[in-house]
Amino acid sequence: MKPMLSTDLNVPDTAVEKAKIEVKGLNFYYGQSKALKDINLSLPERSVTAFIGPSGCGKSTLLRVLNRIYELYPKQSAEGQVLLDGKNILDRSQDLNLLRTKIGMVFQKPTPFPMSIYENIAFGVRLYEKISKAEMDNRVESALKRAALWNEVKDKLNASGQSLSGGQQQRLCIARTVAVKPEVILLDEPASALDPLSTAKIEELIDELQADYTIVIVTHNMQQAARVSRQTAFMYLGELVEFDRTEKIFTSPHEKRTQDYITGRFG
Amino acid sequence: MAEHTVASFDEDLRQISRLINDMGDLAGSMVGAATRALLETDNALAQRVVSDDAIMDARQRELDDRAITLIAKRQPMADDLRHVVGSIRMAGDLERIGDLAKNIAKRVGSVGISAAPRDLTHSIDSMAQLVLIQVQAVIQEYTVGDASALAKLRNDDERIDVKYTSVFRELLTYMMEDPRNITACTHLLFCAKNLERIGDHVTNIAENAYYVLTGTQLPANRPKQDETAMSAPAA
Repeated sequence: MKPMLSTDLNVPDTAVEKAKIEVKGLNFYYGQSKALKDINLSLPERSVTAFIGPSGCGKSTLLRVLNRIYELYPKQSAEGQVLLDGKNILDRSQDLNLLRTKIGMVFQKPTPFPMSIYENIAFGVRLYEKISKAEMDNRVESALKRAALWNEVKDKLNASGQSLSGGQQQRLCIARTVAVKPEVILLDEPASALDPLSTAKIEELIDELQADYTIVIVTHNMQQAARVSRQTAFMYLGELVEFDRTEKIFTSPHEKRTQDYITGRFG
Repeated sequence: MAEHTVASFDEDLRQISRLINDMGDLAGSMVGAATRALLETDNALAQRVVSDDAIMDARQRELDDRAITLIAKRQPMADDLRHVVGSIRMAGDLERIGDLAKNIAKRVGSVGISAAPRDLTHSIDSMAQLVLIQVQAVIQEYTVGDASALAKLRNDDERIDVKYTSVFRELLTYMMEDPRNITACTHLLFCAKNLERIGDHVTNIAENAYYVLTGTQLPANRPKQDETAMSAPAA
């Protein structure tokens, strides 16, 4: 199915902006089972895109294709194209380590490493770069500031990352992701395990980060998708049903299935 | 439209629709009664319109409460969101229609029995009939979900504007003919203006209802035929 795009002249059409990621004719299989069906989608640069849909619709699968993290598991395969700045990342010749420095990911459950706050960030940077202690200190500080965590942890950088609260741990994971200077950040339900205040901090962070990064967020919280994203994709049973400006999706969606889902009339 | 997974959400939305329907019915009956009271100098009927306005105000407050509570509890989206926000706005217009009908009713005593204005009742009567049809039709078309009828109804306001211009000119002529008509004709002029304003509120309701039903706005410009502000009639 072709996703609908609005032709409203008062707003910038996402199609005319520079696409950071273009998904073309993407199919995905868990063994024999087809989980994504001919997905075509263009994600504009420096902008937040939300994927919404009921459990099992393929939104997390699509996110996992974007940095090929699915390859960690057997019997999972993708066909079609995912172009990052015009280059197909599904190509066999793609260097996976390089890909994952460009496309960082934050998961639903905070996953700090069992090491100090400082090391949680320095560890990833060291894998890709050789920099001096002073440079590393700067890098850690700027990453923690970027993730709005610096003021809360600057006096205890040697404390364990796991000693932080859930919301702080999630921001530490975001700091760890931005420290390796990615171009795209994938967020898989980043606030679903957090209290409302921590959720607000993560949303504020997403607002700020979109000035420099292309962000893709999967969320079950539709108000959150409506608040943080500029365009929203609604997926159902492995298909991309509708992709449009977020305001359009949440006020007058084109497709009946989108309308039924977001208004709570599904099934 | 399919039911919501949470059944009480449907019930909350139905309550809001019911209030809009009640207010629409009341607005129609108030406009009809106010005009009849004016044309027949029926003070008792005029008094009923005045007391009905308190019911209208209470309905609007109830709708506001229910709509605000629904937004807080359910965070409606898409057509549900348009329905709730549109209802708040339509209720505002219906409440104003009630106020204007009350204003007409309150002038019934002041117009009094006067020979010259009695001749005028025909013009005001036909203007009032046009307005009354619009008031009754707008909520009816919204309830049955007929967006194209609402678009047409919004443009029909033009006919009320034309009628108002003609009543305005007639009343001026009567006043110029005999200064003793001035008091009564001035009151009648306000009544005609109130009817014309009621037509404008119907237009607002039609625009809101159209947006609720379709998710798109009607074009900003529509025909305007009230020419009384532009030029005075020749003596």
